Amino acid sequence: MRLNNKTIRNYLFFSSVIFILTIPVFYVVVRRVLLNAVDHSLKIQLQEIRSNLNEIHSQQELSAWSRLDKDIALSPTDRPAKDRLYSVNHFSPKHREQEPFREIAGNITVEGQLYQLIIRSSLIENEDLLGSILSVQIGMLIILTGGMLWINQRVSKRLWQPFYVALRNMQTFELNKHTDLSFKTSTTDEFNELNKAIQNLFSRSSELYLQQKEFTENASHEMQTPLAIFQSKLELLMQTTPISEEQANLINTLDETNRRIIKLNKSLLLLTKIENNQYQTIEKIEIVPLCQRLIQQFLVHAESKRLIIHQRFEESFTLPVNSTLIEILLGNLLSNAIRYNRENGEIVISTAKNSLTIENTGAFSPLHPERIFDRFHKQTGSAGSEDSTGLGLAIVKNICTLYGYKISYSFDNGWHFFRVYFPSRILTESKNTLAAQ
Amino acid sequence: MKILIVEDEQELMKSMVSYLRSENFLCEEAPDYKTARQKIEMFSYDCILLDVTLPDENGFLLLKELKENQKTDGIIVISAKNSIQDRIMGLNLGADDYLTKPFHLSELNARILAVIRRRHFQGQQVLVFNELVIDLAAKTVSVNNKPVDLTRKEYDLLIYLAYNKNRVVSKNAIAEHLSGDEAEIFSNYDFIYSHMKNLKKKLQQAGSKEYIRSIYGMGYKFEF
Repeated sequence: MRLNNKTIRNYLFFSSVIFILTIPVFYVVVRRVLLNAVDHSLKIQLQEIRSNLNEIHSQQELSAWSRLDKDIALSPTDRPAKDRLYSVNHFSPKHREQEPFREIAGNITVEGQLYQLIIRSSLIENEDLLGSILSVQIGMLIILTGGMLWINQRVSKRLWQPFYVALRNMQTFELNKHTDLSFKTSTTDEFNELNKAIQNLFSRSSELYLQQKEFTENASHEMQTPLAIFQSKLELLMQTTPISEEQANLINTLDETNRRIIKLNKSLLLLTKIENNQYQTIEKIEIVPLCQRLIQQFLVHAESKRLIIHQRFEESFTLPVNSTLIEILLGNLLSNAIRYNRENGEIVISTAKNSLTIENTGAFSPLHPERIFDRFHKQTGSAGSEDSTGLGLAIVKNICTLYGYKISYSFDNGWHFFRVYFPSRILTESKNTLAAQ
Repeated sequence: MKILIVEDEQELMKSMVSYLRSENFLCEEAPDYKTARQKIEMFSYDCILLDVTLPDENGFLLLKELKENQKTDGIIVISAKNSIQDRIMGLNLGADDYLTKPFHLSELNARILAVIRRRHFQGQQVLVFNELVIDLAAKTVSVNNKPVDLTRKEYDLLIYLAYNKNRVVSKNAIAEHLSGDEAEIFSNYDFIYSHMKNLKKKLQQAGSKEYIRSIYGMGYKFEF
């Protein structure tokens, strides 16, 4: 739930409670006030009648007066009683329904005779008034609450604007991409502090990330020279005479090991370069001819294992990509398919609408579908792994990430599938769609 | 043949000098830009090996100056950076070749010889080993004046070994020379053996002496 809605929810809850509580209270209070007013006027009326009784001089005069006034009832009584006020309903023939009345009953004495006098006042107008007051009150409450909500929504939106900007900035922030973050200065101190904190965090992590990358790159570069010296000394050692078989074997092992270090170092350097986005030149590369060229290049290695390579290029498309990187991507996949294959095995390279698949026979158990793309993850015990740097697929993954390709691995009945999906928006279909070969 | 090596790493310098001296190269050393400049002004060289990262100046500056002064020395740029931009920049500035550290001395030697031959012996680029004649211009090989039909890889292999004659060339160096970047991907050297086997067989059948010898599986040597 959004922050704004949360505040509004609280407001709504509060106003509903106030509504529910105030309306009956208000009703009761207004009713009481109105009733008091009616009672007061009834009392005054009774008092006035009492004080004006001396103007009535006969029984006839009295009954005539009482008959003229519909709101007065007069009846002789012999029991004196105190004045009392009460509510009562009378049937109104005019409205054909029960009507509420307020009555006062008191004794008066005319010409020595005790009478009970009842003065009544209709409450129906009062009820109407009460209704009107209530509806005005409810209307005002609704307008008030609605207005408050509306203002709150607008004000909040403006007030929280810097927060949402900061949030968006954080969401789009990527360590390996140099993004220029624009924070607006807000008039709210808290937001300015928040922005400052975020900016600090960003610049610190960027700095650390850069340092780490720089370290890897520098370390790899610095290693090149000692490795070159080591290799050159080995070559000179090879030239020394006489050389025994034992020495030759030792030198050979050293040379092999050195080659592995060099390879590892180069792969690490390549990884950092990809991450540093140092391969920026983008060309339009047609995928099928590139595959065919790579297959041709690797044919010697495939033939030495007597592998059969099937090419099923149903679609050809053009990718906007750096030529070195796409060659490394496909080269690594293809060389893996050769290296981890068995003797007399098979490889199928195929293209579909927006994907390229390299499948090969090999080990009879599946690889770990995610971990194989991790750095230095090696499948132990499989043929061909003893010489692996453990970086080949990490490089593949990195290139895919760089260009937004998706790579997946699956295993089915002795076949290993590596499939690269290219986002279809970047593809341009080639004019000559190739038939299956 | 005079060669100037501009390299600030003493040990690497020593290695290069030691390897190249046996090819009858006269090697002069310059550990920094200043020394290199002085030497270039005074003498001319058949080939200059130029390290890009020097302690006092960028090696490319020296390259620029050489070209501005219209010196005709062959130049091979050596860099620790295997970046395409560096390579393109070096070649654009007029370098004859570009080599990335770490490199094989045998590869360096072959490149130097190729550069010198391209610059000095136009038209008559022939290597003669008694009955075995390699025509570098026509890229043909003949034994006793009879042509031997070699594949591209076999030819490359023969030239590489011949350039480094009387020295052991390691399997790694051969693999890298023959397959370039692929050698980084594959460690399977079976393809070298088969190329080597075919080459030796073809030369032998044509009546050539056995010049190529395997040294305990460590590498090969062209003995002459």
